[in-house]
Amino acid sequence: MTLRDHAIRYGFILLLFGLIAYFATAADGFVSPQSAVFIFQSVAITGVLALGVTATLVVGGFDLSIGSVATSAMMAAAYVMVVLEQNAVVAVIACLLIGAVVGLINGWLIVYMRVPDLLATLGMMFLLVGLQRIPTEGRSIATGMTMPDGSVANGKFSDAFLALGRHRFDFFIPNLIPVSVVVLLVLAALIWFFLEYTRFGRMMYAVGSNERAAELAGAPVKAYKIWAYIISGVFASIGGILLAARLGRGDIASGNNLLLDAVAAALIGYAVLGAAKPNAFGTAVGALFVGILLQGLTMMNAPYYTQDFVKGVVLVVALVFTFALSGRGRR
Amino acid sequence: MIFFQAYLSGVEAQSKALGVDLRVLDSRQDAALQADMVDQAIALGVQGIIIQHGLTESMKEAAQRAVDAGIKVVAFDVNVENPEIPQVEQSDRDLARLALEQAVKDNGESWKAGYVYVAGIAPLDRRNETWVDVKKKFAGINEVAMFGTLDNPIANSVANQARSVLSAHPDIKVMFAPYDEFAKGVKIAVDEAGLSKDIKIYSADISTSDIAAMREPDSAWAATAATNPAVVGQVSVRVLAQLLAGEDPGHNVIVPPTLITQKDLVDKDIKNMEDLSAKLPQFAHADVAMPAWMPNPNAK
Amino acid sequence: MGNHAVFRVDGLRKSFGHIEVLGGVSLELHAGEVTVLMGANGAGKSTLVKIISGVYERGGGTMGLAGPDFAHKAFAPNTPAEAIRAGVVTVHQNINDGVVADLDVATNLTLDRLSGSSAPFLFNPGRVRREAKAVADRMGLVIDLRARISDLSLADRQMVAIARAMAHQPKVLILDEPTSSLSSTEADRLFALLDRLREQGVAILYISHRVSDIRRLADRIVSMRDGIISGVFDQKPLDYEGAVNAMLGRKIHLDRIVARNSAKAVLTADGLRIAEGARPFSLTLGDGEVVAVTGLVGVGKTALAEMLFGVRKPLAGTMTMNGRPYAPGSAGEAIAAGVFLVAKDRATSGIVGDFNIERNVSLPFLKRTSRLGVLRRRIERATARRQIQELGIVCRSEKDEMSALSGGNQQKVMVARWMSQAARLFILDEPFQGVDISARRDIAAKLRASASGRATLLFVTELDEALETADRILVMSEQTIVGEHRNADIDLERLLAEVAGRPLHSAA
Repeated sequence: MTLRDHAIRYGFILLLFGLIAYFATAADGFVSPQSAVFIFQSVAITGVLALGVTATLVVGGFDLSIGSVATSAMMAAAYVMVVLEQNAVVAVIACLLIGAVVGLINGWLIVYMRVPDLLATLGMMFLLVGLQRIPTEGRSIATGMTMPDGSVANGKFSDAFLALGRHRFDFFIPNLIPVSVVVLLVLAALIWFFLEYTRFGRMMYAVGSNERAAELAGAPVKAYKIWAYIISGVFASIGGILLAARLGRGDIASGNNLLLDAVAAALIGYAVLGAAKPNAFGTAVGALFVGILLQGLTMMNAPYYTQDFVKGVVLVVALVFTFALSGRGRR
Repeated sequence: MIFFQAYLSGVEAQSKALGVDLRVLDSRQDAALQADMVDQAIALGVQGIIIQHGLTESMKEAAQRAVDAGIKVVAFDVNVENPEIPQVEQSDRDLARLALEQAVKDNGESWKAGYVYVAGIAPLDRRNETWVDVKKKFAGINEVAMFGTLDNPIANSVANQARSVLSAHPDIKVMFAPYDEFAKGVKIAVDEAGLSKDIKIYSADISTSDIAAMREPDSAWAATAATNPAVVGQVSVRVLAQLLAGEDPGHNVIVPPTLITQKDLVDKDIKNMEDLSAKLPQFAHADVAMPAWMPNPNAK
Repeated sequence: MGNHAVFRVDGLRKSFGHIEVLGGVSLELHAGEVTVLMGANGAGKSTLVKIISGVYERGGGTMGLAGPDFAHKAFAPNTPAEAIRAGVVTVHQNINDGVVADLDVATNLTLDRLSGSSAPFLFNPGRVRREAKAVADRMGLVIDLRARISDLSLADRQMVAIARAMAHQPKVLILDEPTSSLSSTEADRLFALLDRLREQGVAILYISHRVSDIRRLADRIVSMRDGIISGVFDQKPLDYEGAVNAMLGRKIHLDRIVARNSAKAVLTADGLRIAEGARPFSLTLGDGEVVAVTGLVGVGKTALAEMLFGVRKPLAGTMTMNGRPYAPGSAGEAIAAGVFLVAKDRATSGIVGDFNIERNVSLPFLKRTSRLGVLRRRIERATARRQIQELGIVCRSEKDEMSALSGGNQQKVMVARWMSQAARLFILDEPFQGVDISARRDIAAKLRASASGRATLLFVTELDEALETADRILVMSEQTIVGEHRNADIDLERLLAEVAGRPLHSAA
């Protein structure tokens, strides 16, 4: 391998370690188990969304609706528990169902109605941003809120549900690892294994690279594409569950920032280990990269707009790594 | 949205108490439409108009036309630059002052502070002026970190930032978060960092879910200052009634905010906004524009 | 016949990474001559063409182009546009590189002038059509100028791409396998045009493997092998055999096919109709035999292949596999029944570009290479290695990217993919397209050697390819089968007549 090949393969990982080393010296308290766990926690929600969108990127698609799926799931969880006074299990099932149904509709629009993926999921995003306001006429949901008909919603977030956002597992240090981090790690491992080591994941990559070749190799291409959107939708709704559990209420929100951060993580992932393609490990590293940057910059009192700027710079650099330096740009 | 509904309920209550025939024209945040609606009201032949929010540029001339037509006009939270028109205002500076006075009362005059602020948002800028003054007045108040973002969901994004700030500065004693979404985010971070007994949060604004968060056992959220939007609505109608009765309410009518502490909420068992109005009289009613003849809509 | 060297390259070198593709190539092109460049896939022909046409940067050496005074000036184009402006025009092998699919014929024919810096700012459709008509007339191109390229057949697109290149009135014209998708009539039109250009004094570099093209056109033959010129032949009569030998570096033994007969039918089709108004036909494919279907471009060969493979529905007719009804509804069902297809045009319908050799080979049979959905990579690798060995695929390892392989080796990977499991009916649609002679012979030999236990069906436009490979040859014309020949003492005259659509009827 030439120096250039090494640079492409390990450049981004090296950059990550450099960043950690820099913050370790520049910001007090950056290096500690708690700080590390917190970085994971801060990227858990966008990370889960990013893993979902990775599935759609693998089949050559895109999902712009994940942010609004997450916030819609958050509203649904709040509505089920606070207004309908159901328990945590019902709330979780409702969220997952919403994610799966939205994914199914996205896939159906794209595969059977032939709507281009960006447009179909953009439409879905607008639809969901509006839909989540309808049941409460635009109010955020919290215990004791007044409903449009004047009644007061008396249900509350169940303790079991809130534990998804607040419980911590012991790991050498008591109360160290929050549930959301465990969820992130488990889902990352699952989707990584699925994409790299199962025939379904392999076929999804084939569909994304050459749809016709995959079809002529006997793959049910349409089904694979729809499944990719269902995975994306379900992952986004899991992100929404974690969000609801952390906030403890249902906030009206478009989720656009969640979408942008998740997409950035997935695209940064292209550059990790010179993969030059969507991949679960890269996505997870990409999310961590953004998390470390934000943690370090915030600790050093950098205002929020410089953080957006730095995020953008990282994304552009990662894309240059992917498209200019590795094989994709050639020819 | 929520603010407007509460404001409107106050307007309706005071109108009912006065026997006013009320028409509500909703411009849905369309500046041009809002100006047209003033003309529509003039054509309807109303006696008085309350203009709520809007832009000086679009409303100034429309308001003048109404005054020229002999109609009494009151403006809330929009400066129509007209000496004939009383301006009803809620005071962002007073909001910040009340919360910070409580912070000094609780924590003394010397502490390390974290401050949540995003520049360029008018009410936050006004609240910031007070924070700057307070820091000047008390040299012992040391702002070690300033952060803030409006990335939505805001509480989630602010929580992430606050967590970073707390790992960099675990010795922060007071968090000043003069917007309830900020305070909510800071509280999540403080809880996650296990510091809820060591840090106190002071904020502005209030909602039912804020009340729940403040009432949690060992909640770090110590106090908030808020103006009741319903009271602002009532005051707006009362000022208009005074004008129609030929009285002078004054050009600037300021609706004072109320300090709400965790202790108030727990002691009085206040669980939501309705309880707050019922059990904290200063929140339910402001003694502004209350001549003797004026009916009090809160009197039962 | 002019003897001026209009164009000259000297000691041209090029490497990709460690791999040296051109190791010092020197070549002269003469005005009014057709120089045919022959070379196996991977010999460096395409790289040479891409350097001359300004797509690649050269690694070393010089190029020179004669001016009006015959003095050579350095020629070093940085972009394709520069090469074209200097008078060196290339028609690339990939037709879609030469045309813009969403625009109409007229716009395509005048595109370079429209995008040039001297082009008028405003687009004048009338003028564009007049200019386009002039270009088309010079070419003898009969085509609707308003038709969109994407609605044209591959052959028509090719003609437009060539016509577009002609519009520049080039000094040097380079054609990279231009006839690979043309029918023989269309090829004849192209040859006539090249004759005209030759008379006008254009120096032509013509890259092809087709012996018929070479015999028809060549004034000189240059053979290339492993990145160097391995032979130049310009003494009349041209030594074709010597040129082929120089290209391959070894002597080809033209094995005579010993045509086999089959007793056991694998697939039968009755009353099959593949297009409205086409005559229905029947078909029987036997165990152990290799059958080639030949015919011009567009006579329904691919349609028939796709019907057998389940991706297209026949309009009428029934099929049986091993005596049982066979009506596949998808490629997946066909594969499950043991019917495999090496599809035409590997770049768009075969190769998965993001996958390496190993993963391209295993693609259709992942179910068999996995347990409970989890891939068994050891089996996958062993299969790929075995297939690389079996087909003699030239590569460093099974992990090589497809883009690192020559066209012939890429095609071998496609064949290896479908030979990694036992087929009942093995269909190959134009398996020799863009494949050099030696790879073609390897593949054909492999097909014949492994033929027992299945029926093998090839669809080829080139008659040579059918004659070299098949036990039995079927001829298609106008969406139906019009002739059948056992590949032994074939009546070639009759076969060619059937291909041309005017069968010699012995009766009635």
